[in-house]
Amino acid sequence: MSEGLNIIVCIKQVPETTEVDFDEETGRLKREGVAAVVNPFDEYAIEEGIRLKEKYGGTVNVLSMGPPQAESALRDAIAMGADEAYLATDRAFAGADTWATSYTLGLSIKKLVPYDLVICGMKTTDGDTGQVGPELAHHLGVPHVCYVNEIQEIKGGEIRLTRLLDDRVETLGASLPIVVSVSKDINQPRLATLRGRLKAKKTEIHTITSNDLEADPMKIGLNGSPTRVVKIFTPDRPTAGDIVEGSPEELAERVLQKLVECKVI
Amino acid sequence: MYEYGLLTQQIRRELEAIVGAENVSSSSDDLEKHAIDESLEPPHPPHVVVKPRRTLEVSEIIKIAYREKIPVTPQGSRTGLSGGSHPVQGGIALSLERMNDILEIDEENLMAVVEPGVLIMDLHEETEKLGLLYPPDPGQESGSLGGNISTNAGGVRGMKYGVTRDFVQGLEAVLPNGEIINVGGKLVKDSTAYSLIDLIIGSEGTLATVTKAILRLVPKPRHTALLYVPFESTKDAARTVSEIVRRKVVPFALEYLPRHAVLTAEKYLNKTLPDNSHPAYLLIGIEGNSETEVEENLETAGEVCIEMGGVDAFVADTAQRQEQLWEARKCLFDAYKAYWEIDEVDACVPRNRIPDYIEGADRVAQEKGVIVSTLGHAGDGNVHSLIAKGELPEEEWPTTLEAVIEELIDIALSLGGTISGEHGLGLAKKRYLTRQVGETQVELMRAIKRAFDPLNIMNPGKTFDLL
Repeated sequence: MSEGLNIIVCIKQVPETTEVDFDEETGRLKREGVAAVVNPFDEYAIEEGIRLKEKYGGTVNVLSMGPPQAESALRDAIAMGADEAYLATDRAFAGADTWATSYTLGLSIKKLVPYDLVICGMKTTDGDTGQVGPELAHHLGVPHVCYVNEIQEIKGGEIRLTRLLDDRVETLGASLPIVVSVSKDINQPRLATLRGRLKAKKTEIHTITSNDLEADPMKIGLNGSPTRVVKIFTPDRPTAGDIVEGSPEELAERVLQKLVECKVI
Repeated sequence: MYEYGLLTQQIRRELEAIVGAENVSSSSDDLEKHAIDESLEPPHPPHVVVKPRRTLEVSEIIKIAYREKIPVTPQGSRTGLSGGSHPVQGGIALSLERMNDILEIDEENLMAVVEPGVLIMDLHEETEKLGLLYPPDPGQESGSLGGNISTNAGGVRGMKYGVTRDFVQGLEAVLPNGEIINVGGKLVKDSTAYSLIDLIIGSEGTLATVTKAILRLVPKPRHTALLYVPFESTKDAARTVSEIVRRKVVPFALEYLPRHAVLTAEKYLNKTLPDNSHPAYLLIGIEGNSETEVEENLETAGEVCIEMGGVDAFVADTAQRQEQLWEARKCLFDAYKAYWEIDEVDACVPRNRIPDYIEGADRVAQEKGVIVSTLGHAGDGNVHSLIAKGELPEEEWPTTLEAVIEELIDIALSLGGTISGEHGLGLAKKRYLTRQVGETQVELMRAIKRAFDPLNIMNPGKTFDLL
């Protein structure tokens, strides 16, 4: 690690809304007229990659699989401070579920450079599965840790990190290389600057096709996707709140607790 | 002097007969609530709070007030900053909060028809659903449109679009004798005789009570982006404002924030902004119908900033990131209020004199030993100087505050500015009016007031004194 860390951040371009509109018949996302952005969860991954590079030296490469227009998401990552960008794009990749996606990303990573650390966002705002990170680790044959909320130290080929579970925080150690999926608590992603964007405009985006990967045609795109989408819907949002009863003092105490719980204060 | 009548039980029963007993109140809670706005002016409780639902009810109430010479103070959501809705002579607080329907959004004429109690944020939400925009955007989004019209409110989009006056095309209003008039209409042009509509707009409820408004809308630009630019000096940031415009970029918003404001927002929201270590910042909003258009203007604006001493420009181009920056800007008034007792001056000067005003305001702060945080709509020349006591001993505060306000106003006037860009004079600033416009103009205004309101019952004691 004398030359620093080789970090790969996997990102996805998603529609910029929380209320995603679906075509009820085909189950496909309606993307027309909706701006496309870097999946917000992936911004934390990019930020963490850049921070680790700033701390330990090295390079941050960003990788995405998607249609040619996903290039703009990669440029956004460059504008934030990533070094090189790779886009796996090919008609043969189309219709991929998380399994085929992670297979394709895994092959791409193996083709790229030696890597120490792959960082993914916890999930995407459009698919919401959170599966690509762990599946990618499987395809790469390396360990995976999800819900990572702090990377404490990377030293001597080992990483120490913490992850946030429902009821506890775990501190874990692992050897590199590793795939981590980071949670929103890990950092606050920076805004790209104008200088960064001007640099990103001029940066070449490297494209990767199925031929480049010598991929098994039965493992990519729709062919490689065991999942079938039967129905997609936006779940109802619960509108009813908690109703608490008690004396004014008790209620004030409850409200305070609730505000702290919800991180409002 | 004007003599006012007493609000007797008999009159109260008449009011109850008009709006229903449940909408006439003199409970101490209600009187207290309707005695203040968000200014530092001491409370002025009314004798009774009346909440009509329809124009005819407003008319009937005001007819009684006219007959009995009872003062009437129209009120919206009482978020004003100049004491404009304080019932200084008691009487009736005419709260229009129940008249809060958006009656129509006319997509063919691009007009909205609203009742005065509609909140600005609700109109924004409804118009934006249709891809339309009502550009006036005062920081206080819970303000009512009636109040916005009465103060000729502005907000962050002033530099590109103008202020409330530029978007009010028609009004229904009740005169001080109870008569209902309609001025203007769904008209883009109107050259017919004197513009009474323009007299009523900005008159702080002293001429008539607005009961319905026809507001002009514009198509909402499809793309927006925000630049957050740290500067090495306050002067560089201030000088950049007019340079951006000189380079033919017209942002929809161009806000100036001193470091003090950035730190106050961070503390209040418990969030961090992209940078907080520089003396001054510009927040620049760019919009357009294509991403390319936005990108080009954003780059030009950013390049100008960097040429003028900006460190770099942070770019927020997703809705979420833009909202985070706007949240920091828009919380400022509340944030300052949370930590200090504040008063404010909302002077407006020609855009290219902003550096002089800011420098002058900073100097006054130093000389007087108080906090003066000058921030806001630099792009239209309208910055707000928020004045807080800081380390000053309590006993020196009232006189020092007064002196600071006077000096800030004098600086603004010496730069060709105006006392109030968007908050109005109300009670708080009325004593400075003659200093700005001279006795001749004030006397003309008095004549207009007497023509509308010979008994001086509509919001008496505001804007200027009737001798």
